[in-house]
Amino acid sequence: MHAFAGWLQETPFSHTIQDVSWIIPLLQSIHIVMIGVVFVSSLMIALRVLGKMRADEPFPAVWQRFAPWMWTGLCVMACTGLILVAGEPIREFTALSFWIKMALVLLGVTGTALYGRALRNFIGAGPAQFPATAKLASVLIVVLWLAIIFLGRAIAYDREVWGALSLHA
Amino acid sequence: MDFPSIIQSIQDSAPAQWMRTSVKAMPFVESLHVLAAATLFGTIFIVDLRLLGFPDTRRSFTAISREMLRLTWAAFFVAVIAGALMFAANAHTYVGNTAFRLKMLALVAAGVNMTIFQGITIRTVSAWDRDARPPLAGRVAGVLSILLWISVIFFARWIGFTKGYDFSIPQDSHINFQF
Repeated sequence: MHAFAGWLQETPFSHTIQDVSWIIPLLQSIHIVMIGVVFVSSLMIALRVLGKMRADEPFPAVWQRFAPWMWTGLCVMACTGLILVAGEPIREFTALSFWIKMALVLLGVTGTALYGRALRNFIGAGPAQFPATAKLASVLIVVLWLAIIFLGRAIAYDREVWGALSLHA
Repeated sequence: MDFPSIIQSIQDSAPAQWMRTSVKAMPFVESLHVLAAATLFGTIFIVDLRLLGFPDTRRSFTAISREMLRLTWAAFFVAVIAGALMFAANAHTYVGNTAFRLKMLALVAAGVNMTIFQGITIRTVSAWDRDARPPLAGRVAGVLSILLWISVIFFARWIGFTKGYDFSIPQDSHINFQF
């Protein structure tokens, strides 16, 4: 993995990202703006399932309002994220936070897709009550995004956050 | 007390020293700041989009605005506290940093935009609350709000690349990894 990171870091594409000073801050800024869109969209869906938001609207309407923004935001973040990794592969690959974040992102995206499909089949017109499992899943997904956001920032501080567990040490 | 000594006393304060000496303080406070900023932007963005007339025009402007209000202010409060801690840790550097100054300017402009909207445009809300297309003043406020908050995030990220100090730990150093 280290050899791969080293090779990637020496490619012309990676060099361009490293050398043009505004590329990395620009990509990180777009990434953060998209966190806002994706996290809040997911939060709105979760709060609807919990009955705390837009309880007067049927669930499919709330899903249709927020899901496209969530998926589009995730696609943009995948793009900005991939370019950021290509620009600084050694920084990312040697951070424990990065690997945990990637595992959780995979879990979050799969979980949201499955959960969305299950809930859309739950055709409840009006302020229907969701089962406890659906509510629990909503809370879990929001907590998952929170952990992912935290780990994203923690990549810059691997030793500080993980101490002896850090891959940087 | 003149301005430089105010900045100096902020930088010498106990929370500022904690931010500089605790190994874990900076990453945790920064994460909290990013999280709060993202929530702040996301909730404001929903209200702004409604002002522009999409994507869900079935819901009235006041309903959406009321739903978001508490979340927006809670996120703003957390962002300000976390941001103030980050500022205090290196107050002098921030004050002289161009990206930081531009961020504060964009933040003030976003506040002025909101105040004008809440003070003037909102008075006629009963006439356009359910309209798919709110009046021009509302749409302008929505566009300005989106652009200004995105600018705040961009300038904020630029601070990290221009601030001229580095918090990372030197190699081979032995540090106690407690809070």
